[in-house]
Amino acid sequence: MLPRSTRIILHTLLPSQSHAVLPYGIDEIGFEHFYAELMRTATTRLKIVFRLAVWCALWISPLLIGRAPPLTRYEDATRARALAAMAQSRFYLVRQMLLVLKLVVGLCYGADPSVRAALNYPVATATPEGNPRT
Amino acid sequence: MIFDGEKEQRAIEADFDYIIVGSGAAGATAARVLADTDASIALVEEGPAVQTAEFVEALFPSMRRIFRDMTMLTTRGRAMMPIIQGSCLGGSTVVNSGISWRIPDDVWEPWRAQFGLGDALPLSQLHAHWDLIERELAVQATPRAVWGENNRLMDVACSKLHVSGFPTQRNVRACHGSARCLTGCPFGAKQSMLVSYVPYAEQRGATLFTSARVDRISIKGEHALGVRGHFHQPTLKTNIAPFTLRARKAVIVAASAIQTPLLLHRSGVRAAHLGQHFQAHPGCSLVGVFDQPVRSWFGATQGYEVDEHRGDGRFKVESIALPLETLCAALPGVGVQWLANIADAPHMAIWAVQLRAFAEGTVRNSFLGTEVRYDLTPRDMANLRRALRFTAELLFAAGAREIITGVHGMPERLHRPDDLKYFDSAPADPAAYTFILSHLFGTARMSVRAQDGVVGTNFCVHDMRNLYVVDSSLFPTNLGVNPQLPIMGVAMHAARQLAEREQH
Repeated sequence: MLPRSTRIILHTLLPSQSHAVLPYGIDEIGFEHFYAELMRTATTRLKIVFRLAVWCALWISPLLIGRAPPLTRYEDATRARALAAMAQSRFYLVRQMLLVLKLVVGLCYGADPSVRAALNYPVATATPEGNPRT
Repeated sequence: MIFDGEKEQRAIEADFDYIIVGSGAAGATAARVLADTDASIALVEEGPAVQTAEFVEALFPSMRRIFRDMTMLTTRGRAMMPIIQGSCLGGSTVVNSGISWRIPDDVWEPWRAQFGLGDALPLSQLHAHWDLIERELAVQATPRAVWGENNRLMDVACSKLHVSGFPTQRNVRACHGSARCLTGCPFGAKQSMLVSYVPYAEQRGATLFTSARVDRISIKGEHALGVRGHFHQPTLKTNIAPFTLRARKAVIVAASAIQTPLLLHRSGVRAAHLGQHFQAHPGCSLVGVFDQPVRSWFGATQGYEVDEHRGDGRFKVESIALPLETLCAALPGVGVQWLANIADAPHMAIWAVQLRAFAEGTVRNSFLGTEVRYDLTPRDMANLRRALRFTAELLFAAGAREIITGVHGMPERLHRPDDLKYFDSAPADPAAYTFILSHLFGTARMSVRAQDGVVGTNFCVHDMRNLYVVDSSLFPTNLGVNPQLPIMGVAMHAARQLAEREQH
């Protein structure tokens, strides 16, 4: 199950009902199921790096905007500002941690049928049954 | 015949004339040549046998199934560059774009003059091999019908700026333009080794071992006796059953410029240059946002390229259709801003720089696993800045309304050609850029004298009698062009020499 702090961070990264074309946030794309699959099948390296990235967002990102951690103490706008500050950090590893968060979320978001339909992308098949030759 | 390691529950012992480790461009080509002889062949692949009908578009399942370490192996150095390698039957040819280049004369010439390899790798014979391979794999320029807008826009830019660009030569039969090369062609149109030389060899009697990791080569004195390893579940890395394969004639290593030196080292081969001289082609991209839809989901994944500065700037520019999942991660912003950028994806063209870097790194086993150390040099960074500026110029010439740079320390977006000046003062630190690393070379390089390399001019490891290396590990330098065809030509040359020697 997705830990509460992770959910809050990812919800800040990808909020629901906040964009006209893409109203889908972390809650609407089945991230819970994806996360379970990730933890079950991903390489140890990816799992460790993802957890480090969550930790970094939780405890380091508030410091970048002069606030005390953890990130979960703050309202949406402040959380978004803190995460955005990770992208501008002069520390390479902090920037990389935001990239890891976006990569993992992107793996779920970019494959989601609703998201792809909204962008007119072909639906991404996750099973061979959707392939043209089968 | 195929032994699928995911299903094998019993230990296997068997004898073959040749054991080939790795089923990518090099291993499959060696198998294709040796399968035409009377010899018995084992083709051993660490990754699973994933058939065309099993390829899926969603990136995460593909990463688990057909990419090595889910692309999580990164270089150590100033910048962490993910190393992109296929790990499945057919190797990286399953996940590349099928781009076919011969070794350019200006790249081969130092191999002759500086490294003394003119006789070992004679260009005239390599051209004859490439002629054959190009015929067999249907290498041709990307037809206009499957350019799609992403590739067409690059053609427009080249015409406007009068620079050298052309539709990419690719090994594809009847491309559908599904833009899915990177997760395995679902139509079997791309002539990866999975659908070409591996079945060719299998039909002529080669035995395939998949999901079969070679732990070590058994060596006694100057002789390679065979290989020992485990069938395993490739994603979870759990061992299932051991196998032992004995080689009557030779062991041929074609496991890539990362796995080959590691395997040789694990097997007791010691050479000062083993795992050294690691070279690559770092890739870095820009995103152009256009008023009109680009719809990069239709068209050849990489159907157009620009080689204007391959010689003087050591870079090429290529169009590329990234999976939406990857594109999402590459776009800037958090929250609503990120969503707004993702919503623009249908209007985006991604054009990538492929840099022929001067940098050399190392590959070795450490207690944390595979360790690849690699840092770009100041000259590489100067070339990269120039390459990105040139790419941005192309994008504006094609009509981009803005360009997303993705470079830390530069404006996030460029809005007009005047903004190109920002590249002149762009950071010299590799950590400011986002790279991927593909096209790997040099870690068991060929040399005339034993003290200068790992592999002799007969493709045999120095001081060994029947342990051969035929992949890009033996290349003395990187190429500046896509390596599949060069690797195949060299592997074909090596395998033919080997077959001829055995016959006499």
